[in-house]
Amino acid sequence: MSFKIKGEIRNVFGKNASRRIRQEGMIPVILYDADTVSIPLTLNKKDVFAILKAETGENTIFKISFNSETRNTMIKELQRDPVTDEILHADLIQIVMDNIISVSVPIVLVGEAVGVKAEGGFVDFVTREVEIECLPKDIPEQLEIDISSLHLHQSLKIEDLSSPGEITLVSDPNTVVVLIHAPTKEEFEVEEIEEEIVAEEEPEVIKKEKPEEEEKEKKEKEEKEKE
Amino acid sequence: MLMPKKVKHRKHHRGRMKGKAYRGSDLSFGEYGLQALEPCWLTARQIEAGRITISRHAKRKGKLWVRVFPWKPVTKKPTEVRMGKGKGDPEFWVDVVKPGKIIYELEGVLETVAKEAMRLASHKLPIKTRFISRESR
Repeated sequence: MSFKIKGEIRNVFGKNASRRIRQEGMIPVILYDADTVSIPLTLNKKDVFAILKAETGENTIFKISFNSETRNTMIKELQRDPVTDEILHADLIQIVMDNIISVSVPIVLVGEAVGVKAEGGFVDFVTREVEIECLPKDIPEQLEIDISSLHLHQSLKIEDLSSPGEITLVSDPNTVVVLIHAPTKEEFEVEEIEEEIVAEEEPEVIKKEKPEEEEKEKKEKEEKEKE
Repeated sequence: MLMPKKVKHRKHHRGRMKGKAYRGSDLSFGEYGLQALEPCWLTARQIEAGRITISRHAKRKGKLWVRVFPWKPVTKKPTEVRMGKGKGDPEFWVDVVKPGKIIYELEGVLETVAKEAMRLASHKLPIKTRFISRESR
């Protein structure tokens, strides 16, 4: 699905102006690429939400029109409020459809591992995104990895990902994606007793070690002053 | 109890707790998390009580990450001591938590189990919190 959204050139900058823009239901954004000068814009919040809800999420390529110009862009970075999750600002990067770009794509686990079903382990999903290089038109929604054959303490790495031919995996192939852990055995009662003993101790204070030469010089100076 | 092994200074200033936690406010390890909605000094005892509650409710299944650490010493003067004569001795350790900070993360359990575990842990903490998951974000 292709998105076309309208943007307006932004002539006001800074914290106060950005707050006023957000109160009007707009989001301050900046559009740039490697060569040209960056262009500050404002976008409608609803349009940005529609892009983020698309199947490809943040990797969605959309057309943005402003001042009778139209450009292919993609979201590079989103700033959100940590408490309200409101979008504060977005970085848009201009895309040339013939050039290879680097994006991170989510990894999705397929199937239920033997180690979980029969052996009582649990899935530890260590790496959830993978960096890939491809043409903008070939960006996949997600990369799938089948974990159904995994036993306890076994893992799958980036090199085990099944990727279509058009894309190149950039992330380290030895990075662990998923592993099956055995549940940990903790004994709380023992811990609690230990804690009470440890709690009374104080940590060591790191002190700067003065070099011997400096100390000698100081002593000499003091002696001279006395004379 | 959690506390640093080495410190540069035995006693700290009290400081202020203004602003939001722009660092440590995303789920980095697990599928589910407990997020602070208010600022506070979270003591080592409170952190530990929450950790034990989650671990017990999850029946030691899954994996738990504690994203806070009590690095700040809090001093106290003994009772019935006149003012002056210097700052008191370190009494306990706290972490300065700002709104948005993820306190615990959990992985490898069902959402219902994680939600209940986080609810029980939230009762051990002195602030309002909320349960978050990767799907909800």
